Amino acid sequence: MAKTFPIGGIHPADKKISRDSAIVALPLPPVVYISMCQHIGAPAVPVVTVGQKVRTGEVIAEPGGFVSAYIHSSVTGIVKSIAPRADITGKMVPHIEIETMPDEWVDTVDLSTKIACHIPDDPAAIVEAVKQAGVVGLGGATFPTHVKLTPPPGKVAEYLILNGTECEPYLTSDNRIMVERAEEIVVGAWIINRVLGKQCRCFIGIEENKPDAIEAIKKAIGRLNILSGGIYEIEVVALKKKYPQGGEKQLIRTITGREVKSMALPIDSGAVVQNVATALAVYEAVMKHKPLTTNTLTVTGDCLDDAFQRNYLFRIGTPISFVIDQIGGVPENAAKVISGGPMMGKAVSNLDATLVKGSSAILFLTESQTRRPKETVCIRCGKCADACPMGLEPFLLYRLANAANLEELEKYSVQDCIECGCCLYTCPAGLPLLDKIRLAKADVLGAIRSRKK
Amino acid sequence: MKKLLVSPSPHIHSSVSTKTIMRDVVIALAPAVICAFLFYGWYSLAVMVVSVAASIAIEWAVAKWLLKSPDTPCLWASAVTGLLLALSLPPSIPLWIVLIGDLFAIGVVKMTFGGLGQNIFNPAIAARVFLLISFPVQMTDWTVCGGIISPVDDITGATLLGVMSEGGDVMALSSLDLGRTFFYNIGGSAGEISALAFLLGFAYLLIRKVITPLIPLTILGTAFIFGWIFFAIDPTQYVNPFINILAGGMLLGSIFMATDYVTSPMSESGCVIYGVGIGLITMLIRYFGAYPEGISFAILFMNALVPLIDRACHRKKFGRT
Amino acid sequence: MGKIIIFTILALSLLGGLLAMILHLVARKFHVEEDSRIDEIEKLMPGANCGGCGHAGCRAFATACVKEMDIEKNFCPVGGNETMKKVAGVLGLEAVTKEPMVAVVRCGGACSVRPTVTEYGGTASCRVKASLYSSDTACPYGCLGCGDCAGVCASGAIVMNPETGLPEIDENLCAGCGACVKACPKGVIELRKKGPRGMRVFVSCINKDKGPVARKACGAACIGCGKCAKACIHDAIEVTDNVAYIDFTKCKLCKKCVAECPTGAIHAVNFPVLPKKQEEQ
Repeated sequence: MAKTFPIGGIHPADKKISRDSAIVALPLPPVVYISMCQHIGAPAVPVVTVGQKVRTGEVIAEPGGFVSAYIHSSVTGIVKSIAPRADITGKMVPHIEIETMPDEWVDTVDLSTKIACHIPDDPAAIVEAVKQAGVVGLGGATFPTHVKLTPPPGKVAEYLILNGTECEPYLTSDNRIMVERAEEIVVGAWIINRVLGKQCRCFIGIEENKPDAIEAIKKAIGRLNILSGGIYEIEVVALKKKYPQGGEKQLIRTITGREVKSMALPIDSGAVVQNVATALAVYEAVMKHKPLTTNTLTVTGDCLDDAFQRNYLFRIGTPISFVIDQIGGVPENAAKVISGGPMMGKAVSNLDATLVKGSSAILFLTESQTRRPKETVCIRCGKCADACPMGLEPFLLYRLANAANLEELEKYSVQDCIECGCCLYTCPAGLPLLDKIRLAKADVLGAIRSRKK
Repeated sequence: MKKLLVSPSPHIHSSVSTKTIMRDVVIALAPAVICAFLFYGWYSLAVMVVSVAASIAIEWAVAKWLLKSPDTPCLWASAVTGLLLALSLPPSIPLWIVLIGDLFAIGVVKMTFGGLGQNIFNPAIAARVFLLISFPVQMTDWTVCGGIISPVDDITGATLLGVMSEGGDVMALSSLDLGRTFFYNIGGSAGEISALAFLLGFAYLLIRKVITPLIPLTILGTAFIFGWIFFAIDPTQYVNPFINILAGGMLLGSIFMATDYVTSPMSESGCVIYGVGIGLITMLIRYFGAYPEGISFAILFMNALVPLIDRACHRKKFGRT
Repeated sequence: MGKIIIFTILALSLLGGLLAMILHLVARKFHVEEDSRIDEIEKLMPGANCGGCGHAGCRAFATACVKEMDIEKNFCPVGGNETMKKVAGVLGLEAVTKEPMVAVVRCGGACSVRPTVTEYGGTASCRVKASLYSSDTACPYGCLGCGDCAGVCASGAIVMNPETGLPEIDENLCAGCGACVKACPKGVIELRKKGPRGMRVFVSCINKDKGPVARKACGAACIGCGKCAKACIHDAIEVTDNVAYIDFTKCKLCKKCVAECPTGAIHAVNFPVLPKKQEEQ
């Protein structure tokens, strides 16, 4: 019996159209623009100068703070400029522009495809390698991985959970890497497990709608155990298809039965969650000394020709417009271009923006699929509260948010909202529940922070 | 190139809307409507059509001319109110009383509070009670007009609950064929004929996920336990508890009226309090009150408590003990 | 019959008297001594409870005035100098006078001169829109047009013009409370000196982009050319970050800058209409 979380959740249509499309490398764009804000935390600081030649995998920016990450060149070429440029929301952030030449990798990188499974013993060395490779969480939050792998003193990780749920409709990039690169993911998982310590049990959670991924990971564990003499104690857990199964707190609840307390971190409940794509990046960083300069991108949408439903291996800094050129332009009847999934992805307002480490999909939706329904009045049906995976009452929070009643908002836990979008998806009156709740949450978190000071 | 559409996430929306929900309720009432038509004939159909049409017209007129609202109100919602009111009236009710009922339901109970979603009381029930108090004679005239089919010859014009209330032959009632009551039960409001019709509608609402079974089950469960205790104490005085559930407006009230979104609590624990309250008050009125039937009063009474219940009862939140 | 009536009257009178006693005693026991000046000041207030003074309402303002004995910091912008003079009288302080202020929209990017480049499909709220992306036009600084300012205005002075997509402020109704300034996520609205007979000159643009970029995004943008600053003989205009700003404490309303501006971004309002003669010549 597949497991799932007990409160709330919704079942949007699955739409994994590109699930069987094997990963192909995206052609090299003539110019890449590498953003300095590809992670949560302080922007990276450029360490190259205009006119300088950089090789693929070379450090071009250093962390700008404790929570920050290295950024490497994804191509070989000449640095043309270092200047602000609009990201997908139109916000100006510093980018390094590089004109590409044929690839020339830095010498330290091991480019062979042979599976390396001799994991280093020293956790500190592993964390350092992860940091040097600029690995960030690829599940969406892009939190620097080396920080997450260093639990605060006194906190012990008892569970490592690899997130292979990919619960958003349409997205298939995680599915493809689990099918095609299962062994590397398993070794990557075990590297993370080694860092977290011997007491840590390791699970991989995958939704039932990806049977080939479950199969591939199970087989990979078996094969690696034959090679290594059975060191990989990793359990594959099949999960029910329900959004947001991949939410960190929901996944921990499903697999460990523990509920992460309000305002607490997963590590407070003894759990660390890492995306499968992050595990792959950790594998490459530690075993192949290869920095994070590529990721997998699903290009999909109902309005896109079957031939163009793709899973690409892309270089960070590739302009979105270049990807769209590969599939013959924005489809005729597409109304919205989304970076990420339809539930939590961001609408792209600027096609000249570039792909970043955490980019997972370019999704095209038609007018009828994505146009918000007309806002009417709340009929108190309670469907939003039934759908909320955090057990909140969005109808109440919406009312309080409109009244700017921060005190009551905090009392009714607006700060626990994970912004999954279930309430807005489900509201029959088409009310902008999450829009208002998101702002109220920011206000309340601000108030809580200023109180602590 | 076309301008890109930009809006906050989520970018997809469920196909369920207020309109589809209200349409589903109308569909779920279809079996009861058909039963009313079969047993009470064309006149009952006329009552229903007039009531629905009047409700829609009144809501539209109030919204357009009185409130000057730019948006058209959800007409399916007013249709539900009109239909529920018609089904809770005696089959031979004069049409002018139906019109007064609709005017009260939509004009007073619903629109004065601000229209859909804002009303405290269920409009159909409030109107039924209003009519019952204002026109006691017409509202308790259970004369049966000619139906398309009339499978029984024991049409008495008295309701089961009326017999109980007036101290009729309780033993005879208890021995009544329960199976028959399940399928048809002449005597009573237009919509109270067939338990089967309501259960079909109930099943449809559950399948379409329009309602959860919590409120109907707690109401029926409370009423059943209450009735069963009295039946166990003295079967010569009190009827078989199954009769309590199948007779009168119990099913119509608990499945279609008590579950009205606008006037029922938002939390599960609140729904239980609400359901138990309705079941208990209904049975108290039936057994000890002056009126033979009490579910309308019970629902109205609990409607008034819903804001309080909502203030006190909340859902269990994730990560909080 | 007569007996019953008398008994009823007696019983009810007794009950009434008893309850009145209880009420009186309770009121005495729980009486809170409050400075009577708070009530006095509250009566002087306009009673809009707009929050323009920075307090939660007029009563809170009156309390703050009495407690802090400071009417420099606690100033009611709605009542203005007239009211504050009376407040000063109550408190026995010297009256503080402040220039009357009015809210000014510093964006001239009407739909006709500032075309949209994307379509915003979310809810009509500037705050939501601003948190989502820079703008649906090419100008990331200007008015978003969803009317948050009109929504918070307690005096009903702001109306969204459907044709320009910009808010319009009725300066006769505007109390200068500053609620709209706080509500605007883009910082487009500014409180400026109302000026003699309402006359004032201001730059109706806050676009910090370089000239050509700003110009391309909006036909009414300030391009930071600096012609106005050169023309100004009172040293009131400064161009920083490619946008000009007129300091209203220095501006002498000579209007020299208005004619210089190549994009018409400098607005002069409430000046008497020029005599027809000039136009005819």
